[in-house]
Amino acid sequence: MSAEDIRMLSSEELYVYRGEGGVLQGIVDGKTYHELLIFLTFPMRYTSEYVSIRTKDGNELGIVRSLAGLDRDSAAVLKEEIELRYFLPRVTKIESIKQRSDLWFWELQTHLGSIRIIMRNLHDHIQFPGGDRILLSDLDGRRCDIVNWRQLDAHSQRLLRDIL
Amino acid sequence: MVDELPEIFKSQLSEDILFNVKTDLDTQGMLAAQWLAITHGDVTLWQEKAEPIKRIGIEEIKEARAVSNIGSGMLVVETTTNGPIVIARYTSTLSTAMSFAAKLITALAQGEQLPVATKGDIPRYCSTCHSPMKEGTKTCEFCLSKKYAALRMLGYLKPYKFKGILALGLLILSTIVELIPPFLTKIIVDDVLQPQQPGTLFVIIIAAWALTLLVMSSMQALRGYIGVAISSKLMGDIRKDVYQSLMKLSLAYFDRRQTSQFISRVNSDAESMRQFMTDGVIYIAGHLLRFLFILVIIFSMNWKLTLLALVPIPLLVFLSISIWPKVGRRLYQQWRAIFRLNMQVGDTLQGIRVIKAFGQEKSELVRYNNANEEVVHHDMRSEKMWQLFFPAFGLLTSLGAVLIWYLGGYQVLSNELQLGVLLAFVAYLGMLFGPIQWLSQMISWTSRAMTASHRIFEIMDTPADVADHPDAVKVPNIKGDVVLQQVTYGYEKHYPVLKDINLEVKAGEMIGLVGHSGAGKSTFINLLCRFYDVDEGVITIDGVPIRDIEQTELRRQIGVVLQETFLFDGTIAENIAYSKPDATPEDIMRAAKIANAHDFIVRLPDGYDTRVGERGHKLSGGEKQRVAIARAIIHDPKILILDEATASVDTETERQIQEALANLVKGRTTFAIAHRLSTLRNADRLVVLDRGKMVELGTHEELLEKEDGVYRKLVDAQMEMSKIKGVGS
Repeated sequence: MSAEDIRMLSSEELYVYRGEGGVLQGIVDGKTYHELLIFLTFPMRYTSEYVSIRTKDGNELGIVRSLAGLDRDSAAVLKEEIELRYFLPRVTKIESIKQRSDLWFWELQTHLGSIRIIMRNLHDHIQFPGGDRILLSDLDGRRCDIVNWRQLDAHSQRLLRDIL
Repeated sequence: MVDELPEIFKSQLSEDILFNVKTDLDTQGMLAAQWLAITHGDVTLWQEKAEPIKRIGIEEIKEARAVSNIGSGMLVVETTTNGPIVIARYTSTLSTAMSFAAKLITALAQGEQLPVATKGDIPRYCSTCHSPMKEGTKTCEFCLSKKYAALRMLGYLKPYKFKGILALGLLILSTIVELIPPFLTKIIVDDVLQPQQPGTLFVIIIAAWALTLLVMSSMQALRGYIGVAISSKLMGDIRKDVYQSLMKLSLAYFDRRQTSQFISRVNSDAESMRQFMTDGVIYIAGHLLRFLFILVIIFSMNWKLTLLALVPIPLLVFLSISIWPKVGRRLYQQWRAIFRLNMQVGDTLQGIRVIKAFGQEKSELVRYNNANEEVVHHDMRSEKMWQLFFPAFGLLTSLGAVLIWYLGGYQVLSNELQLGVLLAFVAYLGMLFGPIQWLSQMISWTSRAMTASHRIFEIMDTPADVADHPDAVKVPNIKGDVVLQQVTYGYEKHYPVLKDINLEVKAGEMIGLVGHSGAGKSTFINLLCRFYDVDEGVITIDGVPIRDIEQTELRRQIGVVLQETFLFDGTIAENIAYSKPDATPEDIMRAAKIANAHDFIVRLPDGYDTRVGERGHKLSGGEKQRVAIARAIIHDPKILILDEATASVDTETERQIQEALANLVKGRTTFAIAHRLSTLRNADRLVVLDRGKMVELGTHEELLEKEDGVYRKLVDAQMEMSKIKGVGS
């Protein structure tokens, strides 16, 4: 087994665009790919850095250190693709948190629209990754991100304070 | 309820709908509803407006696939002219439905037989809460008419209803008796302690008083005695139920959770529930009864004063109601803080070797302190609330008493009221409001019990992922033919770890499973044992799908020697006879002999009676392994699963283990995860797994011949490693 090094991709080596069918495509190292996959290597800590670019089959072509280092078009497309691939609505308002029988129903407003998530309990479904951030996950594995709960409106903060 | 395609869209389709689903994201990834319909001719997508936003003819499509993203997914079709096209996006709630849609479209495009949607493929929604419903359930698990937790808790009292009724009767009686002394006070003051009264009445009254006290105490003792009898049994019942539910749950449930958390659930949560049901119920019922009785008595004595005394009641009720939900939530917070602390301790103690090896005791201490501080914080928060609550209650009730003294005293002075009545009144009032803690105590106990019962019922209500089919069969004598057909499985929904595995194994054959770590070898084995159910495809034993075989029956036919040998707390003999408690000493020795374990066991001071496990004798890795092999031998399974240990053992031990294994596999269908070449040579065929797919199948020699084969590379790499080791040693 040979230990290969991590390959970092520079802006000259990578150009990505969205194909007509809505699929991420691109040219890596002069080779055209009709479908590319992206993976955030640190999805919690870095949402626009250290992006792994992979083929449809999951083979890594290289890693983009930062979207900021790419040409503007590629960066925009990658940013969009990250948002699509990592479904993590950012909560803008908490409408209500209700406990019915033994389930918790959260009605949320997010930057992607309104969503209702259901938790079986709070201790398995809420994470505190650090700072004032709160991650909510529901029974289907969908997650919602409260980037900074102290910056939510008073109503949402009150609801959170009540239970957390 | 299945989401029907709205009529306005349906009318646009000329053919029958094969499958339709309502998505929850639009193509830009925003949360919105779109409708997808698949017919023989095309795939169509609508959003709100009548005009479809996408329509692709089946003839243009080569294949379709559901791509899982994180928390979401997309349905992609590969077209002949325009390359890949994203048809629809959805959150992970719809992954199963979309996987089916992809399969259906592919089958249509390639002219294959159309897949039939199982119940699990079609998303169904509960008509009241609109939550998706799980496969095989008729009622929504969210709305399932769960009996209100308190009622359900009280259901545990059922077997003890006679004792309970007796206790309640005693309670009512003792409550009434308790109310006698103040009344006697009234008589003594108003009628007896008068100058012209004879002394005999006084003595009688005092004697009655003493008798009352005696009766009251003995009734209390008797009631307490019954209470203890009920409560201990009750606690046992709850613990038994929780444990039973835990045993019923599938492995997947435990994979996602830290096991030490259950210890507290089984014990402390059950204790909170018990406290509520025995002490709590009696306490609350007693005080409520007393409250009502006193109310009647004082009302009959002087209704005006009674009304006055009741002035603070509405305020008290209001205070209690407003504080109630807060108490529940704070208690849950407190529970969570303790839960996190417990988890951390569990974690740390399990990993104590690693912590010591890396010298991280200090940082662990910091982690612990942080969690500990959180518990302290929450403790203080809920206690502080009580500290405010008690005095507020006290103040309100004392105000009532002050009012009574003022007005009642006035009436006594103006001869409108007898002094005895006032004294009795004040005494009753003291009994009514005096131990006002009972209200807060009641809130505290009830809330604690509710919090605990939610956690406990949560375990009991979790459906087992791998459940026995209602018509499951027994398979007493199997031959051991195993067939895997198009088996696909992923631990996380729709992230398959094994993909489309097809394999036919004849009875008695030995199959070696080879591949890099993470290739899917252990998953393969887990599926064979049916620790998890396959997502797609079927596994059969002698032609019977394993889903249709009773689980206990299935496991009886399968023997497992796992990489991590776990020996239970008990003797070596008990461990060997784990699956066959009625094994004779000869059986046990014979099995140990075949497993090459007999000699080392006999050399131990306590022989087969040596205690092993957590608190017992420490066996070496190789010894444990051989005990585990003996355990599998005595089990005498037709199908054997070996997950070979990677732990380095010396050559002699390795030889002994190999020999033991060779004895074990004779005449059994064997699946072995093999790490050493020596084991691989014994295998009849090797299955090479790579990223969840079966990439090669054949004998050791056949596979070695493939120049560029995965197996060949693995073997070369291992040779290389042993060379390095050779140089190093």
